Amino acid sequence: MIKDITIGQYFPFNSVIHRLDPRTKLLFTVVFIIMVFVSNNFISLFFNLLLSAVVIGLSKIPLKTVIKGLKPILLVVIITSVLQIAYVKTGIVLVDFWKIQITSGGILTAIFMAIRISLLIVMSTMLTYTTSPTSLTNGLDKTFAPFKKIGIDFHTVTMIMTIALRFIPTLIEEVDKIMSAQKSRGASFEQGNIMKRAKALIPLFIPLLFNSIRRAYELANAMTCRCYNGGQGKTTMNALKFAKRDYMSLLVMAFLIAGVVVLNIFCGEYNAEFTFNLAI
Amino acid sequence: MSHLKTENLTYTYGEGTPFKITALDNVNIDLEKGEFVAIIGHTGSGKSTLVQHLNGLLKPTNGKIFLDEKNIHDSKSTLFDARFRVGLCFQYPEYQLFEETVYKDIAFGPTNMGLSKTEIDERVRNAAKYVGIPDEMLVKSPFDLSGGEKRRVAIAGVISMEPEILILDEPTSGLDPRGREQILGLIKKYREQTGKTVIIVSHSMDDVARYATKVIVMNSSKVEMSGTVDEVFEKASRLREIGLSVPQITEIFIKLREKGYNVSEKIYTVEQGYSELKKLFEGSVTND
Repeated sequence: MIKDITIGQYFPFNSVIHRLDPRTKLLFTVVFIIMVFVSNNFISLFFNLLLSAVVIGLSKIPLKTVIKGLKPILLVVIITSVLQIAYVKTGIVLVDFWKIQITSGGILTAIFMAIRISLLIVMSTMLTYTTSPTSLTNGLDKTFAPFKKIGIDFHTVTMIMTIALRFIPTLIEEVDKIMSAQKSRGASFEQGNIMKRAKALIPLFIPLLFNSIRRAYELANAMTCRCYNGGQGKTTMNALKFAKRDYMSLLVMAFLIAGVVVLNIFCGEYNAEFTFNLAI
Repeated sequence: MSHLKTENLTYTYGEGTPFKITALDNVNIDLEKGEFVAIIGHTGSGKSTLVQHLNGLLKPTNGKIFLDEKNIHDSKSTLFDARFRVGLCFQYPEYQLFEETVYKDIAFGPTNMGLSKTEIDERVRNAAKYVGIPDEMLVKSPFDLSGGEKRRVAIAGVISMEPEILILDEPTSGLDPRGREQILGLIKKYREQTGKTVIIVSHSMDDVARYATKVIVMNSSKVEMSGTVDEVFEKASRLREIGLSVPQITEIFIKLREKGYNVSEKIYTVEQGYSELKKLFEGSVTND
């Protein structure tokens, strides 16, 4: 159950996507997100979808895993879709019952939004699926290094991020372990009303909190022992370098931007009636 | 009649993900009442996964677990029953303490069993006595105790449920020699006084040789061998092959024998070694 959470997880495969420079992947993710927002009709959006399918294919990450990663936001997608159906009143009226009016425009907008949100989540999880936390932080560090000149120290931020990411699996494992231990003493986490369930969490959260604080102290000590001083003058063992594949993906990005812009102009502002007519 | 038995127990972690691991592969064990069982095996051999099946925490991918000839996954009530009849104490149990006082923490298990206040009180005091926790410590916060004391409180938290089978996963890991002796001593005493079945998962061959009546050796998710201490430690070379060892004292006697001394190799405890050496010296005196 608790092990199903895959956000922030890294899948160590050996693929082109994995080998890309983290900076490239960061940039790509940002460009992709912008393009998904810019897309104003189904065909542009479909173009984005196609590209993400190619990325998933190249990454060797099973499609099942990617789709499973969407589970946590399923509720958000459903709520958004329902709201769209309820409020968008364009196109042909399909159902007209009492106060509820479902129109073709509403349904199409709902589908449009669902695809849009899913694409955003899929591509951002693809970033962590294919980039190890260390290399991700390295990338962030390098990208934002210039900001130091204007007094923003991104190194600390990225360090906090890495540590947080690094400890997600540890904490999940720990929750699992403490739960098992308390279950062995007859605790039950799945029974009773909300009050009872909330109370049942005390034997879980107190040890978890206590252990986290202990672990934070230990980590701080270990870092101090290795002369951590906030990354001043720190060099990296594997310096980041752009390879041919990175320049290639810059080309792909350019292609994506150009494609979306052209398709946006040609197919025009997404028009419910037009798309609906196209569909039938 | 067998007390606790597994039949073709198989368990896979992460079914359907790229991280699929078979942690148990057709494991068959059969334990009698009152035995002191030691499960040994190197890290990742499946020991901890096995013990988590015995009280029904993990549901086997395949195979069955029988407690007194009854499948524990038969119904909700048999599973509930197994939770309390088989007490499992995890590795580093001191990290699970959470209550305000030692007393309340030990009482957590019995309270969940739905016992009466007087019964709970009796069990808590009994369990505390077994693990050597004095009355004045019962009102302290468990977070104020030393590592060894916390460990004993945590073990008392399982003993207080008075399980028929007590399982301890590496009860001595991370303790100093005195702490180890204390814990092992109390487990031994507990078993002698109650006559209950005890299972320990251990890395220390010396401890196993001293206390166990039955040894189960796990290797890469399977039961490699099982039997009495003598039967298992006899196979010293096989044990080394799978990354385990024999007790230090056995090691010494094997070396002595290689050097040409007329001693038995089947020495598993310091006491046995002492009398064997005494025999050797007395023998050599009379030879001169």
